[in-house]
Amino acid sequence: MTTLYDLTLNIFRADSADGPRYQTYEIQAGPIMRFVDLLRMINDEQDPTLTWNSSCEHGQCGTCSMKINGRPMLACELLVENGVKLFGTTVFTLDPLEVAPVVRDLVIDSDEAYERVNGVKPYIIDPLPQGQGEEEHQINPDQLEQYVDATRCINCFCCASACISSHRTFLGPNAMLASIVRVLDPREQEKDARFKTIYSDQGVYRCHTSKACSHVCPKEIDVAHFIALAKKGFDLE
Amino acid sequence: MKIEIDTTLRCDVLIIGAGGAALRSGAEILETRPGTSIIALTKVTHPQKSHTSTAQGGLAAVDPKDPLDSTIYHMFDTWKGSDCTADQNVVKIICESAWEQILWLENRGMHFSRNRDGRLSKRTFGGHTRNFGESSVYRAVFEADRTGKGIMDTSWGETLKKGIRFLNQTIGVELLIESGQCHGVVALKQKEGVFVKILAKATIIATGGSGQVYRVTTNCRQNTGDGLALVLQAGLPVMDPEAVQFHPTGIVGPGILASETLRSVGGILRNKDLEPFMVGYAPKMKELAPRDLVARAIESEIREGRGIINPDHDIAHVWIDLTHLPAEVHEKQIPEVSSFFKRYVNLDTKTDLCPVRPSNHYHMGGIPTNAWGEIEDQNHRIIAGLYAAGECAAASFHGFNRLGTNSILELITMGSLVGKRVVEYLKEQPETHHEPTPESFPKRFSGYLASGGTESIGKLRSRLRTVMTDKVSVFRTEESIAEAIETIADIEERTGKIAIVNRRLPMNQELLQRWELDNLLLVAKSICHGARYRKESRGAHFRDDYNKRLDEFNHHTLIGIDSRGACHLQRREIDMSIFEAGGEHSAHFDFIERSY
Repeated sequence: MTTLYDLTLNIFRADSADGPRYQTYEIQAGPIMRFVDLLRMINDEQDPTLTWNSSCEHGQCGTCSMKINGRPMLACELLVENGVKLFGTTVFTLDPLEVAPVVRDLVIDSDEAYERVNGVKPYIIDPLPQGQGEEEHQINPDQLEQYVDATRCINCFCCASACISSHRTFLGPNAMLASIVRVLDPREQEKDARFKTIYSDQGVYRCHTSKACSHVCPKEIDVAHFIALAKKGFDLE
Repeated sequence: MKIEIDTTLRCDVLIIGAGGAALRSGAEILETRPGTSIIALTKVTHPQKSHTSTAQGGLAAVDPKDPLDSTIYHMFDTWKGSDCTADQNVVKIICESAWEQILWLENRGMHFSRNRDGRLSKRTFGGHTRNFGESSVYRAVFEADRTGKGIMDTSWGETLKKGIRFLNQTIGVELLIESGQCHGVVALKQKEGVFVKILAKATIIATGGSGQVYRVTTNCRQNTGDGLALVLQAGLPVMDPEAVQFHPTGIVGPGILASETLRSVGGILRNKDLEPFMVGYAPKMKELAPRDLVARAIESEIREGRGIINPDHDIAHVWIDLTHLPAEVHEKQIPEVSSFFKRYVNLDTKTDLCPVRPSNHYHMGGIPTNAWGEIEDQNHRIIAGLYAAGECAAASFHGFNRLGTNSILELITMGSLVGKRVVEYLKEQPETHHEPTPESFPKRFSGYLASGGTESIGKLRSRLRTVMTDKVSVFRTEESIAEAIETIADIEERTGKIAIVNRRLPMNQELLQRWELDNLLLVAKSICHGARYRKESRGAHFRDDYNKRLDEFNHHTLIGIDSRGACHLQRREIDMSIFEAGGEHSAHFDFIERSY
């Protein structure tokens, strides 16, 4: 027989009618239910108006990021029994990430959050013309290895939420990663524009090296390593 | 509450969807016709959250530098894999332009995995062979286990760079079609809660799959068949809806894909008595038998009471046993899938039996198009200015069974082809937009908001998904399909008694889910009617009561649903142009037997 957990979820609610508040839901769930499953159960059984977001629900898209007991994480990746173990309680507080204004309940204005990523140009600005004729570029796998981890970022904004630097003055760890990747990618010729962003007054020098980004990243990317690399001028030796 | 158009937007091209196919077409248009105004709308919060991003394995494409491989082999594999129901003109076009598409992605920054020479690494994949089935071939390029993410990031970056306008969290709710020509769509911007009329000279539907019709699926939460419902509501048909692929080993509960690699490294499937049951179904190949056969074996065990019920999710499954494999295999060969079991069911593949069951994976059927992505009606007439690409479309490249690594290839090739076609089409279009009056959306949405009663969206949706998984999935019979059709009719009736609690429009999740429920019902209905009509077994469509492929069904199914909800069936011939062209290989493109 499986154990059922009696859980208390205090969930941030914001709709223009009532103003921000916390609403408490009591829910019973099995050990391997994910937090997204709990939210769905609340919608189906208690309160269809509770608003939240998800898409892939297996840690590949970063839509369901939120703060659970203060820690930014993906709600699809936290199982009930792991949550109870991690926080030592059956009471959980769920908040939206504070990286952009709340649209409703746990949903934030992701367009606004993404503005920082769009702003650093997450694409190759000036691609190196490929080799002879119609061919792929040749990239040594050891060289790729130096930056491939940074390409795994899914823009869930957990790092930006955990970062101790101010959102007003720092573009954020994930936006920095999107820039840093293209400095390290040999196919990008336009490095100067990249450096301008990275070393701007909203760039890497705003980072206080708390390494919170690496600590909370659901993809386990060592974000702080890449930011440190940028701080020391990409000296890869 | 008055449901009305808030604003009218105008653009050259409207794309409904912002996944791989959508943005590949957008990028194509912006590269060949700079300055084209394009609006792409997506239901998800951002294009990067599209389902394309979750594709893992790879991208099939014959490298012209490869002396061992040839595009004719790729065409053959696709034709055979489709159980002789793909359209050969489409197969030819896609296979021949595959490598060009790989280079497009690579040149624009996709981070493909590399071999020691710095060239693109390649993998083998099920069903991909050289010399017409002789032996397996290295044909799939990949970006580690996140190939789809690579495609998504690259095509998103390119469209962003070239100035596409995105409307995120926006759904298309009514096509504006008049006299056989499409002029755009009515859309609901969820965040603001306003309806906008988007007038476009060309409209591309690229809304992705419909996996949420089933309870256990590898598909993301957003894949509710919205594009299929949109064309059905416009009086247009869908094609081969009964062709739905089930992957044998989805992780129980979430339905996350547990790759075939688990079986190739020596994983053993066991039932509740811990018997290794595959030997009874495929004595020689056992666990390594083809996908559909393994899925049917697992379902048979479950059906005959030898499955296990997972208490948390209340879903039956079998075990995959990997405990006998050396630690090195767990750590080096299956680290990703092992981590999925750890993360989602808290099990260690080294010491625990892991629960798996067939999981809905891919919809081969979809919106019928010709080889250039132009949408056709029941009588094969093109709807001018209306296109479809990606999983929502059926050109058809996959027929009744899709080969691994062929889906994301189709996304980018068809996306690019549609883009080219749209650029040509725009040349003939006048400067000004025609402005049809929308007909159905105000009534529909005010109906959603006005209805009262005690039915719950979540419970009805769950009932629909359960009946589809129980009755119309891996196995189908006349009786099981009839039962599903009856249940769907009952659910349809009950939808009239759903009361939406929040009646304001901005960010109304209930309203969205109410709309999605209608879409799921329409798609489920078309799947059931297609499956009932097709009294044979072909590819992923398996009928217990008609377990052989029959020549009399060598055609596509077209299904339309009229305003009273009645289904109408028609047929479309399979394109056999490679076979008909003759030549030394043409015999391989006849209606051949599909055996491996």
